[in-house]
Amino acid sequence: MTTDRRSRLLAGAALAATLPLGAAAQTELTLWHMEQPPHRVERVQTLLDEFNESHPDIEIRQEPQNWGEVYAKAPAALAAGAGPDLLFAIPDFTPILKGMGALDDVGDFVEELDAEHDFIDAAVEAYSYDDGVWAVPLYNMSMNLWYRPSVLEDAGIDVPETWEDWRSAAEALTTDGTYGMGLPANRQLYTDQTVYSVMTNGGASEIYDEEGSLRFDTPETVGAYAFYDDMLAFSPPDAPSWTWGEAEACFASRACAMILQFSVISTYDTQAEGDPADLGVAAIPSKDGETHNTIAYANAVMLLSRDEEKLEASKTFVRWLLQPENYGRFLNMEPGLFMPVTADGAEADSFWSDPIVETYRDQIETVIENSRNGMLFGFTSGRVFPAIAAISAQNVLAETLQSIAVSGEDPAQAVAAGEARMQDLTD
Amino acid sequence: MRRPPRWNLALGAVLLLLAALVALPFWFVLTGSIKVPAEIIARTPTIVPESFTLQHYAKLLAASDYPVYMLNSLVVATISTAITLILAIPSAYAFFRMSFRGRETLYRAILLAYAFPSIVILIPLFGIFAKLGLIDSRLALVLVNVAFALPFAIWLLRSFFAGIPVEIEEAARLDGGPPFTVLRRIMIPLVAPGIAAVAVFAFVTAWTEYVFASVMILSDAKRTVPVGFSGIIGQYQIDWGLLLAGASLSILPVVILFAFVGRWFVAGLTEGAVK
Repeated sequence: MTTDRRSRLLAGAALAATLPLGAAAQTELTLWHMEQPPHRVERVQTLLDEFNESHPDIEIRQEPQNWGEVYAKAPAALAAGAGPDLLFAIPDFTPILKGMGALDDVGDFVEELDAEHDFIDAAVEAYSYDDGVWAVPLYNMSMNLWYRPSVLEDAGIDVPETWEDWRSAAEALTTDGTYGMGLPANRQLYTDQTVYSVMTNGGASEIYDEEGSLRFDTPETVGAYAFYDDMLAFSPPDAPSWTWGEAEACFASRACAMILQFSVISTYDTQAEGDPADLGVAAIPSKDGETHNTIAYANAVMLLSRDEEKLEASKTFVRWLLQPENYGRFLNMEPGLFMPVTADGAEADSFWSDPIVETYRDQIETVIENSRNGMLFGFTSGRVFPAIAAISAQNVLAETLQSIAVSGEDPAQAVAAGEARMQDLTD
Repeated sequence: MRRPPRWNLALGAVLLLLAALVALPFWFVLTGSIKVPAEIIARTPTIVPESFTLQHYAKLLAASDYPVYMLNSLVVATISTAITLILAIPSAYAFFRMSFRGRETLYRAILLAYAFPSIVILIPLFGIFAKLGLIDSRLALVLVNVAFALPFAIWLLRSFFAGIPVEIEEAARLDGGPPFTVLRRIMIPLVAPGIAAVAVFAFVTAWTEYVFASVMILSDAKRTVPVGFSGIIGQYQIDWGLLLAGASLSILPVVILFAFVGRWFVAGLTEGAVK
């Protein structure tokens, strides 16, 4: 064989070898989320496998992350060019990535999805500011009052509606070795959430006024903090160090008669008696008993890729995920905790046919009902103040409570100091 | 001289208290991992388990990536320990044997590595590693672990070298042994207890390192136990049984290391005492 012929044959073989590769070229995407418990990772993987199989031109792989680290890790990874293409977020995490220029407006895409699935307005509003929408809402969470009907019935107590009822019930249910109410006072996100849940029910939901100035230091806020401090007298002595898990354990072990929590269903079902008839959920009591508000927020997905092909593939995945037959199974990666943000998702068979959801259907319907009055500090009344990210990151709401509950400061002084601290952080 | 009985009693009581302080947390973790969920979360903890189950271990090993995290930790900690020893032994010997200007200053200065809280250098180091293409690699963790373990390892080993009678080394040198041979054949066996102590220190430091592992590693398949495990236990809901089973398994490699190296460590100390 001559050298010339051999060269041509080799060139032909090389060309032939590249053809199948070109035909099978895939767009590879990385998804970061913070749903790390094994059963959630497994559910996400099941869905990704289905998506990848039905979309041979796209391959998505998940990289579960931890909420504890992602605030530092995601900006660092993006700056180093090692970030994900899709990243789950909560409202006060999004401004951090937007602030570093990592996000593009996805308003048109959200509008397209809204036309098809009808998003809950509040879910989209939390991500809409600075003339853009910065993430696509995916799943909702809202805080509720959980109790055991049998315990309340035995004590002859009705489910509390007002702050006065609530305090009396907690006092009556605090007996030897058991506590009427489990409330945290840790400087941590859970306490931010429970404190704000009380604030919203005491007329102190607005941390900013209409002009965007802080209005944290109000008589309503002081009243809410004073009430919360009163209620701590009926909580276990270790409550100041609690996060979500400890509160749930207290409730599941019958040591706490009532707690504030997003959901206790999973733990109650697997670690306590699991009797759906003896698991009660209600709206959080309010000062006057009229309107019951709660803290609620939608988790969302941020589309981070600047590569047109990857961005389009990311959108294809989100479109697929929000289809009711897939969406319900996605929400049920943690049954009873994650609630739909779309109208057709709220009616999806794939959501309601989960065995746990079927068992606790009454409780889940109440949670969805309660979440209609949900709000999040810094994201209220249709206005969004991105500077809230700094306040949230430093847990100033919880820090203010600690000044009262741990250091014994007067609520009025502590709230005034809290506003000054917020001002410092956002100046 | 015989000690008075009340002195023995006091010593025994102190030992018992110490043993309880050290052993009780381990006892609660180990026994908790075999209790059923309701007993684990009971407000009043039971010291002796009233139930028995292996469901938490089964779930941990079958439904999570815990075995992968364990393997990663083993690889990272073992390689970090080996490199720390390979670098620390000649460095410590050099600090002990060689005379050069600024030796004492340099010897003290290496401990400056501990002056910075790791969180302070985390982001700059992330940038450097990103430029070197080391993000999301176990090599990055090995480098960090070695960098943090090495200064103390050198300090510790140098003091062990200093404890060897100078006559032993001089005799070896008189027999014509070059420095490397003297180090390998004479000095290393004599400082074996120190090497064992450094190995345990380096291994445990690498095994428990969290901050860098949490940020430098992006993919689940390369996570080490502390980081992977913190994710497994969840945020809004904690599976307490899973947590206790994972904690129990995570101390196994360290216990095994102590079982092997610790024996050598104690034997070496005893030999030194009678020479």
